[in-house]
Amino acid sequence: MTRTSKGCIALLGVGLTMVVLSAQERGRGAGPQGQPAQGRGRGPGYLKLFDSNMPYDAHDLAGIWSPNGNGFGGGGRCRDCGDRGYSFEFPEFTPAGKIAFDKNIPSYGRAKDSDDAKAHPEEHIGRRRAQPPALGNDTYGTCNPMGMPRAILYPDPVEFIVLPDRIYQHFEWGYGLRTIWTDGRTLPKPDDIDLARWWGYAAGRWQGNTFVVDSTGYDERTWIDYFGYPHSDQMVLHEEYTRTNFDTLELKMTITDPKYYAKPWVGETKRMHLLPKDFIKSSGWPSLLEDLCAPANENEFNRVIRDPAGTGKPPVRR
Amino acid sequence: MNIKTVHAVALATALLLAAPPLLAHHGTNINYDRSKQWTAKAVVTEFKYVNPHAQLFFDVTDEKGNVTHWSGELLPNPAQLLRNGWTRKRSTEAMQFGAKIVVTVAPSRAGGEAVLVLKIENDKGEELLAGGPNAGGPEPPRPTPTP
Repeated sequence: MTRTSKGCIALLGVGLTMVVLSAQERGRGAGPQGQPAQGRGRGPGYLKLFDSNMPYDAHDLAGIWSPNGNGFGGGGRCRDCGDRGYSFEFPEFTPAGKIAFDKNIPSYGRAKDSDDAKAHPEEHIGRRRAQPPALGNDTYGTCNPMGMPRAILYPDPVEFIVLPDRIYQHFEWGYGLRTIWTDGRTLPKPDDIDLARWWGYAAGRWQGNTFVVDSTGYDERTWIDYFGYPHSDQMVLHEEYTRTNFDTLELKMTITDPKYYAKPWVGETKRMHLLPKDFIKSSGWPSLLEDLCAPANENEFNRVIRDPAGTGKPPVRR
Repeated sequence: MNIKTVHAVALATALLLAAPPLLAHHGTNINYDRSKQWTAKAVVTEFKYVNPHAQLFFDVTDEKGNVTHWSGELLPNPAQLLRNGWTRKRSTEAMQFGAKIVVTVAPSRAGGEAVLVLKIENDKGEELLAGGPNAGGPEPPRPTPTP
């Protein structure tokens, strides 16, 4: 073998090595702050950060749970986590419920009267009536609290903070805090609620390996979900959280609201997946992001971008 | 038509079909029409790395010298930008006043100068402020509902 051919082989070897290493690097992808973007575009549709078969305590809900496909907030939900609506089941409104439903003007879903909306008659009209936010009346559009169950339907993570007498659900989106009391207190009846709360009154208990939460007393201005389904002051939300493996939390919900719905309305089963405690970071600081809906930000955004986009009027910049 | 270029119908259609049907709470898909997206050379006049959406203000000058001031919301929010490595410092450096960029936007359905910024490139063709594959979606496939 000549010196030249040896050189060519050596160069070829180096080249192949670089190609392989490069391919491996691309395969890993680049996550935030150097974290590997594991699971992206494959597997069950969420970041596979744990071995689901690891042992776990079914009564331990503490941690950051995410229904998000990238685990980091915003964007879409993972494929097995359900969508941002409460249910695909058609609700049965009472007359008062239908009136309340018609009053709400959401900006989420298929555009009202659009070809897209007409092409999906199999969906309830609640999913096919969206209008620009500038013409809508979503109270969250001006940063009012989302309440439940809407808050847990958004793709952002939620941290369960478990204390001896309560569990806090800390929602990244809106930075909302909901208290579920576990000290044995009895949930008041809807008629006994003197003062409604944006985050309601909630009491939880364990039934076997399922954490059951009943809640009521929600401010009527909150919506059940992004599609603007209403609830009355009579709503009782029943939630069942079950940890089905190390990194999966399943949520089943039923709404009972005889003033607005003729029968209990069963929600679509939702799933969330556990994130490592230090997975979400900004500025090198592991914690939930402060995805706070701050009026100072929101009002400016609405004035300069959102409302002009919905009306065609010039942005108002100060 | 000024220097902005209307994208090929096929590309727009493909992107429209690929677009997530539902976004955030700001009615993004309701406000903007992705089937009419356009691309133009632009100059950055202001950039805000804030919630609920990063905002880009830019000027586009046509061949007659007429300047249009555009206000755009980026598809990714800061969380998604962070996820993809676009920190505030890196983003604001890339979008400093006077930076020359090429933007692809979806116009408002109602008309006017507010747009959804779908893509930003520098003059070398490098994509800037990409939010990653999950920016703004996608939603999971919808199960067949039972009426």
